[in-house]
Amino acid sequence: MIEFKDVGLVYPNGTEGLKNINVTINDGEFVVIVGLSGAGKSTFIRSINRLVTPTTGSLQVDEEDIIGYHSGELRKLRTKVGMIFQNYNLVKRSNVLKNVIAGRLGHTGTFRSVLNLYKKEDVGLAYESLKRVNIEEKVHNRADELSGGQQQRVSIARVLTQQPKYILADEPVASLDPPTSHQVMTYLKKINKEDNITTIVNLHFIDMAMEYADRIIGMRAGEVVFDGPVSEVSEQTFEEIYGRSIRQDDLRGGAEES
Amino acid sequence: MADYQLPPKPKNSGVKMAKRIVIAVLIVLMYVWTFASIDIDWARAIERAMDNFQRVIPELFSPDWSAAGEVSLAMLETVFIAFAGSLMAAILAVPMSFLAASNMMGGKIFSATGKWILSAVRAFPELILAILFVVAVGPNAFAGVMAIAIGSTGMLGKMFSEIIESIDMEVVRGMEANGANKIQVLFYAVMPQIIPEFLSFAIYRFEVDIRASSILGIVGAGGIGTMIIFASNNRNWNEMGMILLAIIIVVTVIDFTSARIRRKIV
Repeated sequence: MIEFKDVGLVYPNGTEGLKNINVTINDGEFVVIVGLSGAGKSTFIRSINRLVTPTTGSLQVDEEDIIGYHSGELRKLRTKVGMIFQNYNLVKRSNVLKNVIAGRLGHTGTFRSVLNLYKKEDVGLAYESLKRVNIEEKVHNRADELSGGQQQRVSIARVLTQQPKYILADEPVASLDPPTSHQVMTYLKKINKEDNITTIVNLHFIDMAMEYADRIIGMRAGEVVFDGPVSEVSEQTFEEIYGRSIRQDDLRGGAEES
Repeated sequence: MADYQLPPKPKNSGVKMAKRIVIAVLIVLMYVWTFASIDIDWARAIERAMDNFQRVIPELFSPDWSAAGEVSLAMLETVFIAFAGSLMAAILAVPMSFLAASNMMGGKIFSATGKWILSAVRAFPELILAILFVVAVGPNAFAGVMAIAIGSTGMLGKMFSEIIESIDMEVVRGMEANGANKIQVLFYAVMPQIIPEFLSFAIYRFEVDIRASSILGIVGAGGIGTMIIFASNNRNWNEMGMILLAIIIVVTVIDFTSARIRRKIV
């Protein structure tokens, strides 16, 4: 369970990233955060694994306040909280297997990982993760030989190999085309359901949020302006969140393909 | 031709023009001054050059094949000096480059210190270093190896640190975000990004060091340079021709090979 209690964050340059956030995310939920760019979606998500540090309030992950965490505790937290990025963040010159097994680093001792002495079950787990996103035939290819959608699937496999309790995805489909975007979201949703991993995704496409989310949190100017199940959301809700009428480029489209 | 309007003249063009003329005049004056003040007897110099050319050049082109064995041994030593020296440099340069790279040790003081040490090392030409090491360890190949090693560390360290600074730090942060510790990040995110370029530069430096080490013998630091200075003192131009031929062949072969290897690596 993740609990934001009066969380605020002011960046060193004075920008207010988060204002007075009170949100509870229950285990197993698939939450989509929507909002315009600069609304604080990234800051919200990155607070949870402490890539950024809130300046006020308390942020609890599994009943422990993580705001004061330092190196050792922070690594433990991040082992439990996997993350997927907009630009995949694969090591381009390493092969797919090495990229995926990097998901085990938090669980593996320094000595073992430096000498590449992975346990058999870890290598097996990595390969199994690749199978789950249907990209196992690329296991020995270099990451830079893959297309954007394939790279994002590899990064999902990496996060699966990490066996996290939570997955954070920061704009995972912003660099992909519509069919590939749907494919990636479908995998995220499937993993959420099958492994019961709490998943929090930042999106700015309204139709995708509606299609995949269980619950939508709308943000504007660092504040939560909407929080509710997807059944309560209508186009009007989005207009309130965005503070303007909905335009064509707020939609990703291409939902029938996958 | 249509009636196109010409672009307006840049502002202050008169001032700029004047500036350029002043600079041109100054440069010409500098040349006149230098040539006037170095006291050359042109007639004698030209006569001597013509005379020597007729004698020396043909001899250079008929190399003394009987010296081939001795020359190739000395050339081999030269290659060994370059190899040992650049290998030592490639190893020494790694810690120096991590110190100097601004995105690794965290802290401007480390980075500035590292960069300062590297440029101080780079300030010495190999020949000066060779003279120092001949004094320190005696006139042998080891002095040459040390001179090459220290000289190359400066350049490789700077190159390596620039490579480190150019890596994708997002990948590093991403890996930290997934629970990897500093050493794991070094091995999984940093090293795969830097190693191909490190190797490429180390090989390139070996190429440069072959040329550098062929001259070190002149100050007694081993290699083919010793033979060059003897041949020239004895006016043995046939042997000199053999030496030059050996250098040309070895340098060409190594340049070619290293270019091929480097293309494969990156």
